[in-house]
Amino acid sequence: MGTENVDPNQRSDADSLRSQQDHYGASIDHDEEVVVIVGSGAGGGTLAYELTAKGVPCVVLEAGPYLMPEDYENDEWASFKQMAWLDARTASGPYRVARDFPNLPAWVVKAVGGSTTHWSGATPRFRAHEFKTRTYYGDIEGANTLDWPITLEELAPYYDRAEKAIGSTHRHGRPPLPANNNYKVFANGAEKVGYEFYATGPYGTNAEPYDGRPASIQDGFNFQGDKSTAKWSTAVREIPRAIKTGKCDLRPNSQAVQVTHDASGRANAVLYVDKDGNLHRQAARVVCVAGNSIESPRLLLMSASALHPDGLANSSGQVGRNYMRHLTGSVYARFEEPVHMYRGETMAGIIADEARQDTSRGFVGGYYMETLSLGPAFLAAFADPGEWGPGFTEVMDAYQNTAGMWIVGEDLPQETNRVTLNASVKDQWGLPAADVWYQDHPNDVAMRTHGYSRADLLYEAVGAVGVHHTPPYPATHNLGTCRLGARPEDGVADTWGQAHDVPGLFISDGSQMTSGAAANPTLTIVALAIRQAEYIADQLAKGAG
Amino acid sequence: MSDPTTSSIDTDGRRNLVRLLRAAYPHPRFPDGPYERTADAILNQAGDSLWHRLVLTEGLATLDARAASGSGQGRFADLDDEAALDLLRGIEDAEFFVFIRSVAVVTLYDDAEVHQLLGYGGPSFEQGGYLHRGFDDLDWLPNPRIEEYDGPDQLVEVAPDDEPATAPTQA
Repeated sequence: MGTENVDPNQRSDADSLRSQQDHYGASIDHDEEVVVIVGSGAGGGTLAYELTAKGVPCVVLEAGPYLMPEDYENDEWASFKQMAWLDARTASGPYRVARDFPNLPAWVVKAVGGSTTHWSGATPRFRAHEFKTRTYYGDIEGANTLDWPITLEELAPYYDRAEKAIGSTHRHGRPPLPANNNYKVFANGAEKVGYEFYATGPYGTNAEPYDGRPASIQDGFNFQGDKSTAKWSTAVREIPRAIKTGKCDLRPNSQAVQVTHDASGRANAVLYVDKDGNLHRQAARVVCVAGNSIESPRLLLMSASALHPDGLANSSGQVGRNYMRHLTGSVYARFEEPVHMYRGETMAGIIADEARQDTSRGFVGGYYMETLSLGPAFLAAFADPGEWGPGFTEVMDAYQNTAGMWIVGEDLPQETNRVTLNASVKDQWGLPAADVWYQDHPNDVAMRTHGYSRADLLYEAVGAVGVHHTPPYPATHNLGTCRLGARPEDGVADTWGQAHDVPGLFISDGSQMTSGAAANPTLTIVALAIRQAEYIADQLAKGAG
Repeated sequence: MSDPTTSSIDTDGRRNLVRLLRAAYPHPRFPDGPYERTADAILNQAGDSLWHRLVLTEGLATLDARAASGSGQGRFADLDDEAALDLLRGIEDAEFFVFIRSVAVVTLYDDAEVHQLLGYGGPSFEQGGYLHRGFDDLDWLPNPRIEEYDGPDQLVEVAPDDEPATAPTQA
């Protein structure tokens, strides 16, 4: 991912893959006013299945190709070129990603299934206080904290349903995954330093056959899609099931470029370009935007109109703001004995002891520690971007004896951390690229420093002879850019994710998150989507949709 | 002497590049093959860009002059490891060296022979994953618990001192 090397023209290309149809499933007329879902990942894919299962016709517009499990590659760079979102984008601001990866602010997927295709699988729930950061963290200088218009109690039944859909281990009777080598180091270290709340999950990959999919074969390539399908993704569960209902029209290689509204201000269509650059219009009764936290605000900003001069649904001015990317940082520890961290499930190891609110540590919010492994190809690119020389090769030479973990914690929402349209950089269609501007809050720095030091102690407790701290890299968790807020002045959308300003327009992905919490976001995105689907179906049934 | 107008770099230039790669990414147990393949990838990629070709040709051609001016030794390829590393530190921000590193870091470690040398198993799906090929063969630590903690302690989600002044009804 050397900055010179990220070139969309190098894609191994979707067009050459087998079975690229213009659409899958039902043939819905372009003039038929249906639910139009932009994106097919954790939010969009879940909505598509939940709605079509209730008999509601949906058109799903997915920017990327429909990759099948047999298309996925057991090769880090080949897979990256196959599925990563490599269209023009820029990273700016003081954070190091802007220097190391100026054209790659985020590592997310452009394919049916979205980023559930490469997600790790960790499924912790948000904690009660994490839905109320204004109440619990207070008014922190430089931060834009706000309580969600949803509580944990309201979301809990949907968390149950999401965990069952995903098949989370350790939940609802699902057994735990076994300990792989990386976990053995991680968990023994945890025990030695006095942590208690560690386990191999909850994790969204089958330890035994479940829901028509097999048990993990521990192949170590779940960031590259999981060829065995033991890992849950909307590409292997929700999307195929939605298509089977006969109510879903899935259109891959279809990039949404504008959401339009009628004279009364109600969302009424989505314009999109197909793979040949032809522009189409799909009429809509309801529009659900789930393009991940960079594309979703970009789409709303590109949808400015005379009624919405600052971008669609942006009377609050919050569209694109409060971009969060999670704390992140990785620690790789070297031992005298072999570890072979790459063998087995990448992130099936979670420590929850630091995921709590305790300001005696010097910061608000908390973080998880999770096992992490990269192959040599990605470790070289990410370990310390731009680094070279003997200090760098020492890390690489120790590969076989290395254990790794990821620190994932809550970063604070800041108004100035934002996604905007970059007027001077265009994508392949001539549309303004998204720019992501980001700066750590001092609270983020304090938490990351704490996390690194705790990880060092953990690994030293089981004999580490050296540790390496990897800085944050292109974000896999992108959150908060169309946040929920009880009042239209504070947030883009209401408790159901419906835009305050635009009836019929819903925010359906991680961009609706009012705060980011410590937990990996996918489970919460799925739970919110199940809840939102229920609301939309109910409103449509009442004729109010 | 390499000539940028012909888009080819001569054998001296390529030899300097291989030597540079070994000095910048020193792995005593790597044979020459991975470095040579990486050098060829760099030369190949430079062919796609006039800018990269210009800076690379000139940069490699002048390494010997820099080596001569620094140590009095004649050629870059004859410098010992330490001297070569010192020289490279002095040109860390030179465009041609930045370009070399940007390709090298994603090429040298994306090489099957290097994977084997580093003890990485690589593609595994076709072989049934690592389920029966050592995913849990680490034997120098005890087998840890895999279930969640079920002892008497509770994780304190909010420290007592961090409860808000007006505690909400649902904590």
